[in-house]
Amino acid sequence: MKLTKYLPWIAGLVALVATLVMALPASNVRGFDLNSFGSLPVLEGGRVKPLNSLARNSLLVIRSQQSFRFEDRTIQADEWLADLLFRPQVADRQPVFVINDPDVLGLVGLQQTSVRYFSFETLIPHIEAIERQAQAAHAIEAPKRDRFQNAIENLYSRMILYHRLRNTIQLADSPGLALELSVAGNPEAMTRQESMIQLAFFRPLPPLAGQSQEAWKNTGEAMRARSMGMIHPGLGLFAQLGAAYSGGDAAAFNRAVTDLRGLHLANQPTAQNQADSELRFNRAQPFYAGMVIYVLALLTLFVSWAWKRELLQPAAFGLLLAGSIVHTVGLASRIILQGRPPVTNLYSSAVFVGWAAVILGIILERIYRKGFGTAVAAAAGFGSLIVAHHLASDGDTMEMMRAVLDSNFWLATHVVAITIGYSGTFLAGTIALGYTLRKHIVGDADKETTKALSGMVYGVICFALLFSFVGTVLGGIWADQSWGRFWGWDPKENGALLIVLWNAIILHARWAGYVRERGIMAMAIFGNIITSLSWFGVNMLGVGLHSYGFMDKAFWALSIFVASQLLLMGLCLAPPMFWKRLPSAK
Amino acid sequence: MTLNANLSHLGKRIRTTLTSLQLTITCLALLIALVFLCTIAQVEMGTLGAVNTYMRSWVVWWAPKGFTFQLPVFPGGALVGFVLTANLTAALIARFTFGWQKAGLWVVHSGLILLVAGEFVSGSMQVEHRMVIREGETVNFLESYRDTELVVRDVSDPGYENVFTVPATRLAKGGVIPLKGSPLSIRVNRYYKNVALSPLAPEDHAPLATRGVGATVKLTELQTESADNKMNQTCALVEPLGGGQSYGIWLVSTLLGAPQSFIHEGRTYVLSMRIQRQYLPYALTLKKFRHDVYPGTDIPKNFSSLVRLENPGRNEDREVLIYMNQPLRYQGRTFYQSGFEGDTITILQVVQNPGWLLPYISCVLVTIGLLFHFIVSLRRSMSRRSA
Repeated sequence: MKLTKYLPWIAGLVALVATLVMALPASNVRGFDLNSFGSLPVLEGGRVKPLNSLARNSLLVIRSQQSFRFEDRTIQADEWLADLLFRPQVADRQPVFVINDPDVLGLVGLQQTSVRYFSFETLIPHIEAIERQAQAAHAIEAPKRDRFQNAIENLYSRMILYHRLRNTIQLADSPGLALELSVAGNPEAMTRQESMIQLAFFRPLPPLAGQSQEAWKNTGEAMRARSMGMIHPGLGLFAQLGAAYSGGDAAAFNRAVTDLRGLHLANQPTAQNQADSELRFNRAQPFYAGMVIYVLALLTLFVSWAWKRELLQPAAFGLLLAGSIVHTVGLASRIILQGRPPVTNLYSSAVFVGWAAVILGIILERIYRKGFGTAVAAAAGFGSLIVAHHLASDGDTMEMMRAVLDSNFWLATHVVAITIGYSGTFLAGTIALGYTLRKHIVGDADKETTKALSGMVYGVICFALLFSFVGTVLGGIWADQSWGRFWGWDPKENGALLIVLWNAIILHARWAGYVRERGIMAMAIFGNIITSLSWFGVNMLGVGLHSYGFMDKAFWALSIFVASQLLLMGLCLAPPMFWKRLPSAK
Repeated sequence: MTLNANLSHLGKRIRTTLTSLQLTITCLALLIALVFLCTIAQVEMGTLGAVNTYMRSWVVWWAPKGFTFQLPVFPGGALVGFVLTANLTAALIARFTFGWQKAGLWVVHSGLILLVAGEFVSGSMQVEHRMVIREGETVNFLESYRDTELVVRDVSDPGYENVFTVPATRLAKGGVIPLKGSPLSIRVNRYYKNVALSPLAPEDHAPLATRGVGATVKLTELQTESADNKMNQTCALVEPLGGGQSYGIWLVSTLLGAPQSFIHEGRTYVLSMRIQRQYLPYALTLKKFRHDVYPGTDIPKNFSSLVRLENPGRNEDREVLIYMNQPLRYQGRTFYQSGFEGDTITILQVVQNPGWLLPYISCVLVTIGLLFHFIVSLRRSMSRRSA
């Protein structure tokens, strides 16, 4: 009896503690304190971020992963970036470029095998062919490019990113920043400074006392300023850092990193503190941890339906709560780090949709206590975090907002309301999926549960209608405020309208008595299709003011999702003879 | 059955149909289909084209491939919206009862009627223009996005110009058009909706124009554009007439920049085709345009135009800052920061929509109604559960 009471708490606490342990900093690599190196703030993409974020996002863009195996060791993003900046000859041999397209592989003289990752060294002899094809592809409008054109354009831009990174602190073919500084006066060095200014991908040197907050400099700019007598103390420290790293002197490297941190803390304490917070957030990977906990909750619940229900069902709920806490903390950290409402791009919308669905599921579980709320919440949380995980491969997920979107008030009202509407519609659809599977697997033994499910779906659809309607109209008002059109029939607006109309149809059909339990469930599953199309599908059209996240990779994923939902709708509506009868129901 | 009974039977049928939920659901389903088609069609037709075909039309027409006639294949958005509004209104009146139970729903549906009405008002009465101002310049007219006009300017007096205009839509009808206030009229020989111009080669046919630049230009007719970011280059062959005399056939087009002029009774007239203008009783002067990007990127952070608004008629002279999400609303028009060219030219979108307030009211009504209804139903189901 006691165990039943405490098990949910124990399960939840274990999950939370495991998450915290995961967030601890890793030990030094070959003696180098790469954690502190990763905490150094730089300016890139219009915002200050730690080198660690830059390293992770760049590696994610180039390789679609945040770490990789090389010479029987796992290389993390920080180490990769350090190699790229200071030991490019090592980095160039590491297989960081992922290439899946057979035609692109053919272009660089490779055959499609199980090896999908290639080094810069392998690709560089073919740079002329790649460049020519990429420029030809670039001339075509993005929505009209074919698979090869997209792939080659993408490879080329990743190579450019790589090339710029490796020439940011010092030119890749130079003997090092220290030497560069000693010959800074001669004319050849001036030309090299010019190329560094052109190529630099980020700005590692913060403004000094008395300079504008935006006056971050790259090393090339700082060297030019140095020749005019304005010496940035960070320049010498980066030179020491580079020399120590390429020379294998860990102690000197660690000293230089500490000195750089000290310089930042004295000059730009806010930037350094913010970079430290973001670094902790990166290490904790709350959304990844949350995803794992949700899966555990779901599995525990599945087991509970076959074995020790009274024990495992509360344990699953405990895990769900732990997952939701990690998820909430992650969401809150993002809000604080970015200084923005929760949803600012497609990635964060996925995180938020999942979060709202989980919270709704927990509330449903507290009302009905059937374990069903837990199942649906864990499934929705897991599913949306998986989607978010895949959306993150575009690079920085905390990018700056374009001018027209730069309004915290509307982001907090319109966008949040719309996203909660998505959550509600998906949650109703997920419950309906559960209803369908349950009926086919365990039959209709427990009439009360079936009734409870109907009640849940109805309630959640009402909720979804409220939020999607209010969100849509608020969007119209924002549009009226910013470009004078309440309603412009823009694809994203239409998508939101489709959700509103569909939920309204379900409710009216129910009130009029045209559909009963099963019909409503099938309609709720169709709501999944409409929501996914309006959320992602319209971005694939590549028209309109909202096409902020043009995606082509996701097209197949979306098609498969739509097909699966149609199939499940068919299953839901299948005539009674398909509904399995359990002995108990006879 | 008597005629009267028949009629009352018919009336009843109409009433039940008009107030039925079946009609509501049918309309909503048709709307879903229309919205979906309109969204997909935007890839090919552009937003404006798709909206005009599917949403702002009473009937959706379709031309079978290879045929010139069109078939009505689907009810248009305007028709569905109209029926839905009628259905909503009728149902509200027929089912209206006092009491808290339904009060929320009643408010919600009145709000919805207002919303649809607002869209009808916008669809039929909203006018969009733009205003392009260079830093330091004063502008007192709006420009159309797509419409053009023929302009005949009398430039004989050094101090001022006498301007006569003919909208392109009038040119399209052809015939002889008298220019009111001047001794001239214009005969339209041909009108083209969209053309390309190129230098005349020796092997080309002789041009139709006999005077001006047109006599050395080859004209190629193009398909009309409906995509939002493309403009039609209108063109016309016009013949100025005055005092029983013709001044030859001139080619005017939005593609031609150089002025073409002729002299009638000692006065010089300049012919040109330009974006249609509308003059205002007030003027805006651009004092400063700002365009900020995030450091180290080209992501726009902020656009703003500091303008001076002068209205001599109302003795007004003040400065206004127009920026993202912060338009200037003045005398029924709203000026939005919409774009820019270079660092010194601002482009303002100017919208006139008498129904702009309706969606705001509707939004408030529906939100209050839904929340109210939600609370009432929740209380009811809670008391049922606890009972």
